[in-house]
Amino acid sequence: MVTVTSAQASGIAAQTTAERAAEIVSEYLRGPIEALDATAAQLGIELASSPHVGALSSQRLDALVEPHAHRILGLPDAQIYGAGFIAAIGLLTDERNHLSWWQGDDPRKLLLAAQSVNKALIDYSELEWFRVPMETGRGHVAGPYVDYLCSDEYTITVAAPVHIDGRFVGVAGLDLLIDSVERQLLPLLSELGDNVTVINSVGRVVVSTNPRHATGDAVRGGPLADLSRTPCNGLALEIIVE
Amino acid sequence: MHPSESIDAPEHRAAVDSDAARSRDATRPGRLHGSLFQSIGDAGRAELVERRLAGAITGGHLRAGERLPSENDLARTFGVAPTTVRESLLALRSQGLVVTKRGRNGGSFVADSADPVAHARTALAETSRLALRDLGAHYSAITAACVRLAARRAAPSEVQQIRSRLVRLDDADLAQWRSTLDDVQVELVSLSQSARLTREQMRLQAEFSPLLRLLDAESGSRVTQHQLLVTVVDAVEAGDDQAAVDATERMVDSVINALIELQSKNR
Repeated sequence: MVTVTSAQASGIAAQTTAERAAEIVSEYLRGPIEALDATAAQLGIELASSPHVGALSSQRLDALVEPHAHRILGLPDAQIYGAGFIAAIGLLTDERNHLSWWQGDDPRKLLLAAQSVNKALIDYSELEWFRVPMETGRGHVAGPYVDYLCSDEYTITVAAPVHIDGRFVGVAGLDLLIDSVERQLLPLLSELGDNVTVINSVGRVVVSTNPRHATGDAVRGGPLADLSRTPCNGLALEIIVE
Repeated sequence: MHPSESIDAPEHRAAVDSDAARSRDATRPGRLHGSLFQSIGDAGRAELVERRLAGAITGGHLRAGERLPSENDLARTFGVAPTTVRESLLALRSQGLVVTKRGRNGGSFVADSADPVAHARTALAETSRLALRDLGAHYSAITAACVRLAARRAAPSEVQQIRSRLVRLDDADLAQWRSTLDDVQVELVSLSQSARLTREQMRLQAEFSPLLRLLDAESGSRVTQHQLLVTVVDAVEAGDDQAAVDATERMVDSVINALIELQSKNR
């Protein structure tokens, strides 16, 4: 008969907690990710069949994207703050870079020019949520990061590339505010009993049920650094259980 | 408010009978009430929209010849009625900042004559040394707080992204050079992971940037600014928060001193 020591038993329990936490997190993000992937594919089809595909203006693009943005913003479950399409630099005839983006509780079109700093000149092709889908051709969950371009808040962006006949034309995206993620995820993770911390691919705390671990902090050099990490079903997120 | 109830009563009056002082303290509003009940200003909404757009144009954030969003889009974004936007555009037109073109490709455009450098030169001439130093103190405090947090929280891969933009920096086009530096500065402070600090820094950057353009014309100043920013980036990447703060303070000191020098040269 095998004797299970208490240390081993808690090890097994911790493993189970991590797996359940990973399920909770990926279930939370599944709806937004699937909806966005479908939207990216649909946008590619609609753009390709548009009679203006060769000479697309920002106005025409906005008209095409708007219903998709509103549909995503109205999705149940995960609270989505912003949604839309960000054109590849040089795609449009009238603007070098353009965001067809709607955001807020009473969703409004984002106008970069109307804001304080020269946001219209910011080169977004360098930013993670645009760069990774552009370079890999695959969807990406970026952040958390301070989104100084759109929401002006601490944000996770789910992004998917849009192609016309294999040519990259931009990124479909949606924003989740970490404020909402914390409100929605923490109660579910707290039910697991142990302290659960969700970190991103650079080792940054997204949310933690342990009040001592601040969102935004780096795990390196801290008490979580040496604990084992459980992957989150193909997402660029990991779970640490204490 | 009656003058005798003024919450700005001089402190030295407290040197009276302590009982009386205590009872008065209990009824006297706290310090914060002072800012709470300050006038919120009676500027109309059209004037607020006008000021926002005028600031963007004179600050160079909207470039000469650039098309403004439609009246309806502006109204929706600012949360005001389209007639309010129309009123503010009218005022901007009379100031010569905006022109309106009719026809199919018509709309409101930033006037070709709107020159942010000329506006910045006027602004610098009209600003006191005290106000310049105070702007520097504010900018330095916020930016230093941001880079301190960034040094603790940023991943090296994120800092390398920023560095690669600095490496590609080209001063052939000075407007582009400034906009890239502004961009890099904002991205660097956003690595603090603090949305509040980043928003504050962006407001300050918008205020500061037009003045910095006046210095950009001189290559020595460009080299100094570039080198000090690289030092900040290095320190953030190395996780050395104190070195990041020090280099930030040196950078702000050097540009404020240069601005004051430029100001006295032009007088």
